[in-house]
Amino acid sequence: MNRIIVYGLILLAYLILSKSLSPFEFGISYVKDQNELSKLIKGAPVTAILTDVHTTGFAIKTYYLKFKIVYGFESYEELVIRSSSAFSEKLSPFLGLSVFSRTKSGEESMVPLIPGSIFVGDKTYGSWKNQGDKKLWRFFRVYRQIPVYLGWGDYTPSFEDFNKMEMNRQQNTPYFGDTKLFGLEGELTQKSFPDYFARKNKKTLTWQEFLENYFNENFINYKEQL
Amino acid sequence: MNETFDRLIIRILFTIFICLALFIYKYAHVIFYPSGKKQLLKRIYPAENYIDTLHIFSRIIGVSIIFSTLEFNEYFGISISLVHFLTWSLIGFSLYLVSIYVSESIIFYNFEYKDEVLKKKNAAYGMVGFVNSICLALIVKKIFTEAENSLIILLIMWLFSMVLYGFSTKLYKYVSDLNFNSQMIQQNLGLGFSFGGYLLGVTVIITASFSHEHIDITSYLVQVILKVLLGALILPLFMLGIKFIFKVDEEGQDYKTIGHGVYSGSVFLAASFLTSIIVGQINFGTIYPFF
Repeated sequence: MNRIIVYGLILLAYLILSKSLSPFEFGISYVKDQNELSKLIKGAPVTAILTDVHTTGFAIKTYYLKFKIVYGFESYEELVIRSSSAFSEKLSPFLGLSVFSRTKSGEESMVPLIPGSIFVGDKTYGSWKNQGDKKLWRFFRVYRQIPVYLGWGDYTPSFEDFNKMEMNRQQNTPYFGDTKLFGLEGELTQKSFPDYFARKNKKTLTWQEFLENYFNENFINYKEQL
Repeated sequence: MNETFDRLIIRILFTIFICLALFIYKYAHVIFYPSGKKQLLKRIYPAENYIDTLHIFSRIIGVSIIFSTLEFNEYFGISISLVHFLTWSLIGFSLYLVSIYVSESIIFYNFEYKDEVLKKKNAAYGMVGFVNSICLALIVKKIFTEAENSLIILLIMWLFSMVLYGFSTKLYKYVSDLNFNSQMIQQNLGLGFSFGGYLLGVTVIITASFSHEHIDITSYLVQVILKVLLGALILPLFMLGIKFIFKVDEEGQDYKTIGHGVYSGSVFLAASFLTSIIVGQINFGTIYPFF
């Protein structure tokens, strides 16, 4: 009986020490759902773009999400959270999109839309300019960094995009844009937030490659090691 | 050819210097152990009392293990490398002797060297003392390597390792059926094998726990504690595994025999080596920072 108690105490001490001193835990909050994410993001107007999704662990998985928080009047910041499996799976398809927005009036939206849609159409930040037969959104000079933060590249939202964004926001349906620029398949997302795609495309060692290397090193090209 | 002879002369010079360091150790030993003065300073007759021979030579082996970590950097100049060696060998055997003093005070707090070795010729005492000296030498050697010539880090690690080692010796009663004090009084050599295996096992785990990169001392020591705790969790699993796989039947066996002592010491040691794989040799790769 004594042995079991001692073993239990050692196990407890190990778990407590690991938990409290582990570098994995420092500064990373656990966010279960949208409401908790909302509490973590302060200020307004603000939008959170999902920039990376990562899972670690063999038997017990830990899910990490990374957001770029873009403010209206400040520079952007990055937020890394641990999340539940359900929340991670729910947000993963919307990588590169704004998954959270809060307007100046405090109205919050979790509808995944083109990054920075909260700023488009707001006359504090810019205005519509006629270009040919289209009306395009231009940020004022003082806010010229916002499209850079949003990872827009050469993209400029049209009035048509704006209308669709507003419509989707009201209907609570995600909007990736018409031109396949945003989202997992989007060119701009892949260019602006490349970490996820670099990791996803990283070549992993297959059994065949492993065995080939092993035989090459030990039986075929062994003289090179001598 | 001249260069070959020159290097041979330097090697012989260093060999003589190491013997000088051993000579200094002989007298340092007397400072730390005035009661054992007669034993180390008098002429040794190995055949007279093999327990005493075991006791004395375990320390000589131990100090040689520690010296084996030191190095001469001849390219700094002969005199500088000699002074460096002398300084670190003095530090090394001082720590070693204090370690033995502390650990023997914990392990043999009910027993006297004179009674057990000189009068009773207690083989169990001799065996445990021998293994204890070797284990401490291996631990001091390890911390010498990890301290990388930093005296303050060496002292911190040494204190830390002593706490871990001392604490581990007190846990023996939880992993063995043998009662240390009563079996020692009965001069059961089986206890020597069992406790010796246990001490060696503890040493393997402690040295494995100290084997990792250190950027700052606090996080390094935290990692050491975690590894030792992990070792304490994994060790019993391996012990159970070995007993189960090799169908060891302890039911109805006399656990006070030498055979049982050899068996339990071997299981401790084997399980500790296997535990050291789990503690120190599983590489998870970089999962943090992940972004």
